[in-house]
Order: sequence, then structure tokens, then C-alpha cells
Amino acid sequence: MSLLLFSLLWVGTSAQNGWLPPKSNKLVNDYASILSPQQVHSLEQRLVAFSDSTSNQILVIITPTLGGDDENAVAQRIGQTWGVGQKEFDNGVVILLKSKSADENFGAVAIATGYGVEGVLPDIFCKRIIDEAMLPPLRQGNYHSAIVAALDIIEPVLAGEYSYAQYRKKSNAAPLWGLAAFLGIIAIGLFLIWRYAKKHPDEFNNKGGKGGGGHNGGIFFFPGFGGGRGNNFGGGSFGGGSFGGFGGGGFGGGGASGRF
Amino acid sequence: MKKGTIVIIAIAALVAIIFLWGVRVNNRLVTQEENVAKAWSQVENVYKRRMDLIPQLVNTVQGAANYEKGVLTEVTNARAGVQQTQVDPSQLSEEQVRAYQEAQDKLSKALATTIKVTVERYPELTATQGFRDLQTQLEGTENRITVERGKFNEAVQAYNTRLRRFPTSLIAGMLGFEKKGYFTAPTEAAEPVNVEFNF
Repeated sequence: MSLLLFSLLWVGTSAQNGWLPPKSNKLVNDYASILSPQQVHSLEQRLVAFSDSTSNQILVIITPTLGGDDENAVAQRIGQTWGVGQKEFDNGVVILLKSKSADENFGAVAIATGYGVEGVLPDIFCKRIIDEAMLPPLRQGNYHSAIVAALDIIEPVLAGEYSYAQYRKKSNAAPLWGLAAFLGIIAIGLFLIWRYAKKHPDEFNNKGGKGGGGHNGGIFFFPGFGGGRGNNFGGGSFGGGSFGGFGGGGFGGGGASGRF
Repeated sequence: MKKGTIVIIAIAALVAIIFLWGVRVNNRLVTQEENVAKAWSQVENVYKRRMDLIPQLVNTVQGAANYEKGVLTEVTNARAGVQQTQVDPSQLSEEQVRAYQEAQDKLSKALATTIKVTVERYPELTATQGFRDLQTQLEGTENRITVERGKFNEAVQAYNTRLRRFPTSLIAGMLGFEKKGYFTAPTEAAEPVNVEFNF
């Protein structure tokens, strides 16, 4: 009865406020159709390879509108909602470019940093990347150069902070602890049985001929303890070059922006 | 079995079910209350970050050649006002959150005014890299404040919704859980400090 009540009343609440572009499962998203397909492809390859080799995820998005919102807010919201970066590290970066359009006649660029990379990409540094590397080509309408210039600076910085090896270590840590605890419990169990057997040797030697069956103690159940946490490298590691998915990183509003 | 025994067993079973249900309700509310407290600590972090930036701003402005004292009075007063507002993170009642927000919003407004006035009166100061960096940091802090306030509100909403939903609402009060306060929509004063530099 109470169970029924619970299931009836169980309704998930998810509040989502503010404008977002349509969700995609790619690292390069050109909603304004500014880049050539080759440029999109090569950038995607580059970022997937970077994600595969370092676990850091950089999302590039070009949008013709911000839905009336602020570029910083939209970039942060995309990062948080889509989950750019790994959950363990919050090592995602969103590079958002807003192209000039008829009804919103300004260009804007924002770099949003995940919680985990705020240290290596402080706001001031992001602002410098925008002002010095991105805005000059953007003012000439060269989006591709601006993106490449930003990636050339950001990638080495991120790679120095989080590596794929670190990610493997961290994402596998929990199951390993589980295994250790499990083996420990078995070891204690065996030890107790051994001690008991030492104190009561007759029960275990079966010399008294209690019957033909022998003793049938010691059945261990090996419950499947959940395998490693699903990681997002399956797609990339098989050579397809496709992106395995966002890792659930969090964003707290770090980064900077500029207009052109 | 006697009739009496059956009745006793039935009552015992009912008591057990109610008890287990109470435990479940309590545990869920505790989890969500923890989420709210966690979100609150992030809110405090980002506001503290802003508090720490203000002395820098004060020092920078004081370095201006034709500096006048009045420019900084409002912001230093508002900062002092914030320091006097104490919030108990385990309570976060509506009054407390409102008082906290009022003090912080006053500071936001003072900060925006100070920067506006500084840009108008001391153009040579605002052209320096140091001031621009400070400006970037303040902007980033305002962005973080908006984000963490939003996340706090989401956590509070989840908690309040559970609290007020039947049948949890029947026993939540008895278990000592109370409604928590929200940040209200950003007022004009709380909007990010946004000053355009045109070089």
C-alpha cells in the first residue's frame, strides 16, 4: 500500500531555466553554418582525439542567436546541462561564438570553464585569449582562425593539468576498492573457518564416519560486483574517430567573454 | 489463533510500516537538505570571492591621481553591511536568505556604481591592464554568483517540493524539517557589472 503511494507520488523534478541551443552529441557544432564541412570535420577530429588522449573535453559552438540571454550565461548553461568534461574532474571548456545576424547585430565570444579547470584557465587568462587571439580574426569574419588560435593555447594548458592516465586511475578507483573489500571479507571468512577448524579438528577430519556425504560447508557466492564505471572512450578508441559522449562535468560560471 | 492475537499482529504490522515509512521520508529529506547546504556553501564561496576583490578595487581606485574619497564610501559601507549579515547554514529560513540577499544586492549595486563612476572620472586609470584584469575578475565573480544562486534555488526547490508534497507533508514538521528560502529573481541591482571598454 505505502509502496503504491510512493510510486504514484514519485515524479522527477528538473528545473531548466534559460535558453539553450538544440542538444547535440558532437564537440563542434556550427548552428550558424559559417564553417565549411571540412573545417568542422577537422576540428571535430582534433577535439575528439584530444578528449581521447587527455580526457579533457572542449566544446565549440557557433550560434546565430543567444535567445536574448548573455553569452557567458549561455556558454555556462551549455557546459553544465550537456555535461562537458568528465564528472570526476569537471574538466570541460565551452567556446561559444555568436555570429552577427539580422535581428541580433553583434558578434560575441565566450569561453566557459568547468570547475576543474578554473585554476589553469583563470578568467583573466580567458579574457586575454579572447582579446588577443580571437577578437582580431573574428573582426575580419574569420571564425575558423579564431577557434584554432584559441585551441592552440587552451589544449596544451589543459593537457598539462589532466591526463588520460589520471582519468583511468580515478574512474577505476572505486571498483578496485570494492574488489579489495570483497577479497578482504573472503580472507577474514577463511581465517575464521581455519581457526574454527583448528579448535575442532574432529569435525573437519570426518574420521568418525558421520555419513558418506562429507561436509558440505564453504559454499561461496560470488555476486557480480559491478564492473568499472562506463567511460566515454569506447567510441574513439576503436579508430572510428567518433565522439563517445559527454562525461557530465560541472560548470560554475568561470571564464570570460568579449564582443565584436 | 485468537481474534485478539490477530488484532495485535495487525497493529504491530501497521506500526512497523508507518515507522519504516517515517525513516524513509526522514532519510530522503536529510539527503536533500544536505544538497541545499552544499549549494549554499558554494553561494557563500562565490560571494566571499567578491568580498576579497573589493579591497583590491579600493586600492586601485585610491591610486588614481585625482582620487576623491566619496567614490568609495558607498561600496565600503555595503561591504561592511554584508559582513554583519550572519546566516546559519543548517537553517536557511526564508527570512535569513532574504536578509542575506538584500545585503549582497546592496553591495552589487554599490559596486556597479563605483565602477561606473571610476570609468567616468578616471579614464587614465581604467585604461591600465591592472584595472581591466580586476574588471574581468569582478565580472567572472558576478557570473559565478548568478550560477551558484541558480543551483542553490534548484536544490531548495527540490527540497521544498518534497517537503510539501503529500504524504511527506504529514510528518515533515514533526521530524523538524522546515521550508527553506529562495533567492529571488535578480533585480536591476544584482545584474552583472558590465562596463564596455572601447579602445
